Amino acid sequence: MMKEDIVIKLENVSKTFTIREKVSGNIFQKSWAVLSGSNRRKIEAVKNINLEVKKGEFLSIVGANGSGKSTLIHLMTGVYRPDKGGKSTIIGSFIRLSLGLGFNAQLTTRENVYLNGSVMGVKISELNKNFKKIIEFAELQKFVNTKIKYFSRGMRTRLAFSVAVHAHADIMLMDEFFGGVGDERFKEKSDKVFNDAFVSGKTIIHVSHSMETIKKYADRVVLLHEGECRGIGSADEIIDLYRSTIKVEKSRRREKKQYDQQQ
Amino acid sequence: MKQMAQGLAAKFYNIFPESIRLERIWLLSKTDFKIRYSASTLGLLWAFMYPLVRILIYYIVFSFVFAKDIPNYGFYIFSGIIIWLYFQESSKSGLRVIRMKRYLLENINFNRLDVFYASILTSLISFIVNISVLIFLMIIMGITPTWKYIYYPIFIFNLIILSLGVGLILSTISVYYKDIKQFWDLILLLMFWINPIFFAKQKIFNMFPSLLYANPLAGIIINSRDVLMYGKEPDWFLAAYGYFYAIVILLIGLWSFKKFFHKAIEKV
Repeated sequence: MMKEDIVIKLENVSKTFTIREKVSGNIFQKSWAVLSGSNRRKIEAVKNINLEVKKGEFLSIVGANGSGKSTLIHLMTGVYRPDKGGKSTIIGSFIRLSLGLGFNAQLTTRENVYLNGSVMGVKISELNKNFKKIIEFAELQKFVNTKIKYFSRGMRTRLAFSVAVHAHADIMLMDEFFGGVGDERFKEKSDKVFNDAFVSGKTIIHVSHSMETIKKYADRVVLLHEGECRGIGSADEIIDLYRSTIKVEKSRRREKKQYDQQQ
Repeated sequence: MKQMAQGLAAKFYNIFPESIRLERIWLLSKTDFKIRYSASTLGLLWAFMYPLVRILIYYIVFSFVFAKDIPNYGFYIFSGIIIWLYFQESSKSGLRVIRMKRYLLENINFNRLDVFYASILTSLISFIVNISVLIFLMIIMGITPTWKYIYYPIFIFNLIILSLGVGLILSTISVYYKDIKQFWDLILLLMFWINPIFFAKQKIFNMFPSLLYANPLAGIIINSRDVLMYGKEPDWFLAAYGYFYAIVILLIGLWSFKKFFHKAIEKV
């Protein structure tokens, strides 16, 4: 049984991907590779993570590119199933927000808002009521009947965030969502949402390279490095740790390069 | 006018006050239908054009090139081909649906089966378009409806269950084997010619009686046509057999979907 205030729980969660690589050579070599399985390679994206997220918490995940942050988000939402022996639980409705995803480019703003809202379990009558608010929050009053394909990245981001906020998702998982949106006015609004999140009991999982946001809001930070969890703690603590891992990594690479050159 | 339509729509929604799920399935399929036809200039007209042109070609080819021994041959073809078109469209959309709806499946938690129900419903909208063409044809040919028409929905429901099951199975297989798409086109081509769409049913089934039972569509086509065209009492044994067949396929589909779906988004 899970404690009542825990909304996400990961127990011994690992994720291994099997990828197939293109084999060069003649047709016999190719078919042999497919049959024997020698063209397959295993990649351990996330290794043995244990984590509990409380209701109303703002959890940030940091790590270099390819350290398994997005995979971890997918494992939390259950889109990816963990390897054998691991277990991932999520309680409540959630929405994953990531760059440029979540909308059908062929549909207009109005159609997308209704579709996404309904899929998230909001009644159409309620959407009718909130539609104006959603559009105003996203500042897209002039583009209600415009197809999303004409939208800039910033416009899409604003719309997705607005829908997520007004659809009352219990958990928002943001995968480098605000990257590239520097609009000050909108930032104020999103700041307000983050500030109110704890009060309204919204849980936010937040993957970002923006140390500023993390320092400002994160209750806890998780550091991932090559799929492993290197530390969980307060923002200042983990950011220092993160910077030092990057430094260590850089100097190690430099040494290796020098070593290679000497050889 | 538009406000009136919206008012009517609102009334429609209020019939199911708590059924968010129905609303969702309806919205999903409505947008599907819109996307399919809104990109083109002629829009919805294409939905009418395609079956009409197709039947015209078949009618010309089969009634002039081959000797015809079936009265009201155009109606004969059409009543069979609308069943066929529904099956073809909905089974093929089963192959696409996960890729098409990935943007929702990946980001939001909802019952994943809803996208399949929606795609079945989308095909049903085209089916209704085809039916209206059929009614038009009936008026021209002067065929008067009989009370036996009330049996017709029974066979359509059988068709829907069957298509849903096949779509689920295909979508599961397509996660692991991309080739299923080409393979299924081949199977469809084969099925098209062994079904009693053009031929009098006696012609095929006297030669290969087992085909009647091996092929789940044959019974549906025969029965629905008997009802619609000849006003005959349907063959109830064949109908029961069709339902049994469809339910078994649906159960296999649901099971495989439940078991293998999580791989789908990883691999798409």
